[in-house]
Amino acid sequence: MNIVVLVKQVPDTWSERKLTDADHTLDRESADAVLDEINERAVEEALKLQEAHGGEVTVLAMGPDRATEAIRKALSMGADKAIHVSDAALHGSDVLATAKVLAKAIGTVEGVDLVIAGNEATDGRAGAIPAILAELLGLPQVTQVRKVEIDGTTVKAERETEEGVAFLEATLPAVVSVTEKINEPRYPSFKGIMAAKKKKVDTLSVADLGLDPAEVGLTGAWSSVLEAAPKPPRSAGQRVEDDGNGGAQIAEYLVGQKLI
Amino acid sequence: MDFTLDEDQREIRDWVRTFVRREITPLEPEVLRRERNGRPGLTRDELRELQLKAKEAGFFGVLTPQEYGGMGLGAVMTALLESELGRSFVPFRFGGYADNILFHGNEEQKERYLLPTISGERISCFAITEPGAGSDAKAIRTSARQDGSDWIINGEKTFITQGNDADFTMVFAVTDKEKGADGGVTCFLVDRDMGWKSEPIDTMGEWGPAALVFEDVRVPKESVLGEVGKGFQLAMQWIGQGRYLLPARAIGSCERLVEMAIEQARTRVTFGELLAERQAIQWMIADSAVEIEALRWLVLHAAWQVDQGMDSRQAQSIAKLYGGVKANEIVDRVLQIHGGMGYTRELPIERWYRELRLLRIYEGTDEIQRRTIARNLLKGHAKIGGSLV
Repeated sequence: MNIVVLVKQVPDTWSERKLTDADHTLDRESADAVLDEINERAVEEALKLQEAHGGEVTVLAMGPDRATEAIRKALSMGADKAIHVSDAALHGSDVLATAKVLAKAIGTVEGVDLVIAGNEATDGRAGAIPAILAELLGLPQVTQVRKVEIDGTTVKAERETEEGVAFLEATLPAVVSVTEKINEPRYPSFKGIMAAKKKKVDTLSVADLGLDPAEVGLTGAWSSVLEAAPKPPRSAGQRVEDDGNGGAQIAEYLVGQKLI
Repeated sequence: MDFTLDEDQREIRDWVRTFVRREITPLEPEVLRRERNGRPGLTRDELRELQLKAKEAGFFGVLTPQEYGGMGLGAVMTALLESELGRSFVPFRFGGYADNILFHGNEEQKERYLLPTISGERISCFAITEPGAGSDAKAIRTSARQDGSDWIINGEKTFITQGNDADFTMVFAVTDKEKGADGGVTCFLVDRDMGWKSEPIDTMGEWGPAALVFEDVRVPKESVLGEVGKGFQLAMQWIGQGRYLLPARAIGSCERLVEMAIEQARTRVTFGELLAERQAIQWMIADSAVEIEALRWLVLHAAWQVDQGMDSRQAQSIAKLYGGVKANEIVDRVLQIHGGMGYTRELPIERWYRELRLLRIYEGTDEIQRRTIARNLLKGHAKIGGSLV
C-alpha cells in the first residue's frame, strides 16, 4: 500500500495574512508558515492506513524552499520520505498548473496505490486540486470524505456534502481528499522530530519533471488577478432600541439585507 | 554570531506552540470562570491528563537527563519552550520534572523520592523560607536535634510552592547552631505522613503556596539528603538551578499581552479615531516590543551560558531582574490601552497583572538581584561588558 500525501505550507491562520502589492500573490514573508492543518489530517490518515496495510508513505509538496519546514513536520509525524517541487518558475501557479506539476511528480513515485489530499487549503481555498489531479492521472476521485477504508483493491469512503452523505467505492489506485472530520492528527513525537532530518527528501525542478516553465507560474496561469483590496474594517452596525417593537425592527432589517 | 534556531530547535518550539494552541489555550475561558469562583483553574487530574498527552509524544522531563527517561534538552531549548508555555495563563507545565538536588540522593533515596517525582506519582516541595528568613536564608531557625539515631525537627516554613499538594518535602533545618549556614544546616527528605502539616496561604495571584509546620517530627537518619551540615550548599544549588526560566515564561505572556494591545489599538475608536493613530498608544506598543526583544536575548544568553557550563549567575540575575521589572511595566501598559475593559475580569489582563507581580518577588526579589549584580561587579567577580567572551 504505497500512499502519496499532498501537503502544502500555508500562512498560519493565527497570523495576519495578506497579498503582495506587486502581483497580488500570497505574501509568504508577512506571516508565519505552517503545514496546513487539513494536511496533517491527510498525513494522519495515510499513516493509519500504512499501519493497517503496510507500504510506504511519501509526502509531496510544491512550494518555495521554505516549504521544507512543512515537509519536515509531515516526516516527523511518521511519513517515510518526501518530494519537494521547488522552482522560481512556479511562482503564481494556478490550480491547473499546480495539478499538472503534482501529477508529474506523483509519476516519479513507483507503484502508487493511493493519493491522499486535504479537501481544501486554508490559503487558496479553491478546493479543486484533488479533482483536477485525478482527471490528469486518469484515476477515480473520491473527494471530501470523512471516512476511508481499504478492502483489498477497493477504497470505500463516506463523502459528506451539504446534501448528505454518499457511500462511495472505487478501485485502487485512486485519489482521495479528506475533510476535517476524518480524524484527529497525532502530534509528532520527539523521536519522530529527531528522525525526520535523516529521511530522504528529493527536490525536483520544473525541468526535472519534463515540464515547460511557460506552462506554469504566473505566465501559464489561465486566470489573472487585476486588483486586490483588503476587507474593509467592520462598520459600527445599527443599534435597535427595543421600545416594544424591537423584534419587528430586527425582522425588517433582516428582510432589508435579504437574509430572511 | 548566529541568532537562527537550528531545525530541531524550530521544530520542537513549533511542536509546543501547536500543543499550546490546541490543548491549552482552549481551556482559558473555563480556567478564568473557575478562578472567578475561587476554584483552581486546573485540577491536579486535568493537569496530569495534559501532561500524559504530551508524554505520549515524548514531551516529558524537558530538563531531566535522558538516563532518567527525560528529554535532557538543555537550557536554551527549555527557555524557548517555557516562553511558548507562557503565552497562556493556564498553569500548565510538562511532567517529568524533579528538583535538581534529588539527583544527589543515594540509591535508596532516588528509588523512593527521585524516580516517583519524575513519573508524577509523588509531589515534592522545597522548604527553606521561614517567616523570619526569606532572601536572608541563612537566618533559618527550624531545627533538627539528634535523638538516638533519629532526628527531631521543629519549626515553621512559609511560602512553600506545592506545599499543599506535596507528599514529601525537602526541608532545611539547623543541625549545628554554632556553625550556622557554614556547615550547620542539613537537608531532610520528610514524608508528609511522618507528621508535618501544611496550611494554604492566600495570595494576590491564583497561585497558592503553603505554610508548613513541624512539631517534633521524628525522622530516621536515612532521611538526610547529602551530608549532615552540607544542606545550605544544596539549597543554593536548588535556588540557582533555573532562575532564567522565570523571565522566560514572562516573554510568552508579554508577547500575548502586546498582541492583545495591538488588536485593541487597531479596532477601538475614540473621538472618531482609532487608538492606533494616537502617539501615546504607539509609544506604549513600541516600548513594549523593544523590551520584549531585549528580554528574549537576555534570557537566551543566560540559558546559553548554562548550556556552556559557564558561571551564569550574573547573566541569570540580570535576566530575572529585567524580566520582572519590564513584564510588570508591559502588563500595566496593556491594561491601560484596554481602559476599563482591561480592569475587568472579563479579560485575562488583570489576571496576568496579578500573576506577573510575583516575578519581582519570588526566587530573589528585584532588590536581591540588584545586590547580586552590583556585588559581582564591585568585588570583581563580573566585569561590565564581560558577558561577551
